[in-house]
Amino acid sequence: MRNRPTLRRFLRDRGSVVAGLVLLIVVVASLAGGPIASTLLNHDGSDLFPYSVNENLRPVGPWSHVPAVNQALSLPDNSIAPPPKHAKRTLFVLGADSEVGRDEFIRLLDGGKASLEIGLGGVLVALAVGLPLGVLAGFYGRWLDAIISRITELVMAFPLILLLVLVSVRLRPTLEPISIKHVLPPGVLEVALTIGIFTSFYPLRLIRAQMLTLRHAEFVEAERMIGASNRRIIWRHLVPHLLPTLLVWGAVAVGTNILLEVGLSFIGAGVPLTTTTWGSMLVTTWGTIYSPHTYNAQAFTVWLTIFPTLAILIAVVSLNRVSEGARRALAPREL
Amino acid sequence: MRRLAYFLTRRLVASVFTLLLVITLTFVLFWAIPATPPAQYLYPFAQHLSNYQIQRGNHVFGLDKPKYVQWAKYVEHLAEGDFGKDWNGTHINADQSVTQVPINDRIIRETRITLSLLLGGAALVLLLALPLGAFAARYAGSIGDRLIGFLTLIAICTHPMVIGLILRTFFGDQHKWLPDGGYCTFGHHAVPISSSFNPFFSSASPSACAGGPWPWFEHLILPWVSFALLFLALYTRMARASVLEVMHDDFVRTARSKGAGEPRVIGRHVLPYAGLRILTMIGMEIGTAIGIAVYIEAAFGLHGLATDAVFTFAGSSVLDLPVVLGIVTMITLIVIVGNLLVDVLYAIIDPRVGSVTRTRSTAGIEPVVV
Repeated sequence: MRNRPTLRRFLRDRGSVVAGLVLLIVVVASLAGGPIASTLLNHDGSDLFPYSVNENLRPVGPWSHVPAVNQALSLPDNSIAPPPKHAKRTLFVLGADSEVGRDEFIRLLDGGKASLEIGLGGVLVALAVGLPLGVLAGFYGRWLDAIISRITELVMAFPLILLLVLVSVRLRPTLEPISIKHVLPPGVLEVALTIGIFTSFYPLRLIRAQMLTLRHAEFVEAERMIGASNRRIIWRHLVPHLLPTLLVWGAVAVGTNILLEVGLSFIGAGVPLTTTTWGSMLVTTWGTIYSPHTYNAQAFTVWLTIFPTLAILIAVVSLNRVSEGARRALAPREL
Repeated sequence: MRRLAYFLTRRLVASVFTLLLVITLTFVLFWAIPATPPAQYLYPFAQHLSNYQIQRGNHVFGLDKPKYVQWAKYVEHLAEGDFGKDWNGTHINADQSVTQVPINDRIIRETRITLSLLLGGAALVLLLALPLGAFAARYAGSIGDRLIGFLTLIAICTHPMVIGLILRTFFGDQHKWLPDGGYCTFGHHAVPISSSFNPFFSSASPSACAGGPWPWFEHLILPWVSFALLFLALYTRMARASVLEVMHDDFVRTARSKGAGEPRVIGRHVLPYAGLRILTMIGMEIGTAIGIAVYIEAAFGLHGLATDAVFTFAGSSVLDLPVVLGIVTMITLIVIVGNLLVDVLYAIIDPRVGSVTRTRSTAGIEPVVV
């Protein structure tokens, strides 16, 4: 009931509503789209179709019917045979993904699921770490605040990606056992954990700053006067005040984490090869930093860069727009 | 002036402490992460290291002394500008004597490459972000503004590595308008790139070049552009926001009311304010910039500090402590010196050092991309 005006303000802003709808479509498509598309098209994202690639290894473009043959046939002289004449054909909505010939469309949907899970998981982990520390630093202040702030500044000054690399490569054997099988694709939880821990400084600083201004607010003084404990003040009165800020930050951070995952994939410190993310799709096309793919005019197709990038663009932009709308709706006077 | 000197001295002292803290942390982290004994570098072909071999390795690398002595020795050498000798290049000669290679050359060569990239990119961002942002804000809602907004979004969401490789493919490989990667020294000495330095890097081998200012410039055009695009996008959006924010402020209205023309209002009153904001952000994001440099260097085959950091951190099963320390120290130094420079510039532009930005909170939460 209390949030009615906020919701109404949000709905009145047409841009935010459109962005929200787009975001909803992206989320639903990523979560349910992969399995549905696999059933309808009769193949899934890891099936290989060698005949979806021409003789120069250039993958077919969008909306192609390719021979549903999972293994290349070879002639007696070891050259590759043309596909069987009467082979059934299967539809590649967005074409094939690389020289091995997987369905780009289904990979895009599956990749969306993993990417969004990493984005959201990273935010949740960052909150789990950043919220308690931020509250402690901002509310109790003094030496605790000094220590937490100094460490934060130190770590934030150093290139984040190097820390992520160090942790994800060196601690992989330790992290690997803790993954929820059957719920999350392999590798997603590890990447979400590492990203979350090292981005927890952003919510930490936000929360600390708000706590610093709030702890001397009148309603806190009043609460203290009637004998409320610190714990009650923090959990019943201060933390609810933080929710709008965290919501606004969270929406942006999901997008940032998706982009971070792309970076990790390029460094080879992301999810394992068996898991598809938007980042790993770009890596399939362009190679990692250890061996960037060199230019090959005959095998080059522009689609394989456009699709994942467009997916990231749509997700990140709609997340940012929703966050922006939420901020305006929550604090209309500041604008 | 005296206040500035006092301010800078304080910052300088704090910086030294930060550096020492970072070195200490690296030491602690290094010993906390489980790894095979460093002696493996000395006996690369040994399946199982004997006790003697481990002790010999520790002795050669100076690891048999207490940890604090190692720390003190490292700091002492560093103060003399000596980054030490790496473990990887160490080998035992036939007569059982040990040869070690200093890493100063490597660190300095790589720092040159990364700094060329960072400084050139920063110049590009500073030159273009303000005018673009001011234009977008002045004509907010126009087609130009929308176009700029759309293009910046694309630049933010396309990964720098992809941007770099696309530019390299198009300008370097397909049309051959510009060199397709590699680094050329500014001075006229061709520095041979040692093949032992990086076994992982299999991308296009940098073409041999004799060095010189023009080849240096030519080889860096594409890296600069692809490096700058992301930050240009971020800062153009920020410049637009801060110009919009102050467009209707008192000091702008005063300037208008005393009869200043539009160019003067924007140029003399609005832009310096937006410029200060961008300067602050640049100071805060040097670390991020080095992170982005990893991809750009990799995409163009520049063997710089940033890629070497990733290769060292992620590459072999044994971390090469002197190299890790050298790289971490150098990166921290770049961040610290960069911040000091920003502070000095800030103090020159705004005599009140920081009072403007301290009273204003940033309007939205800018997306931070790494």
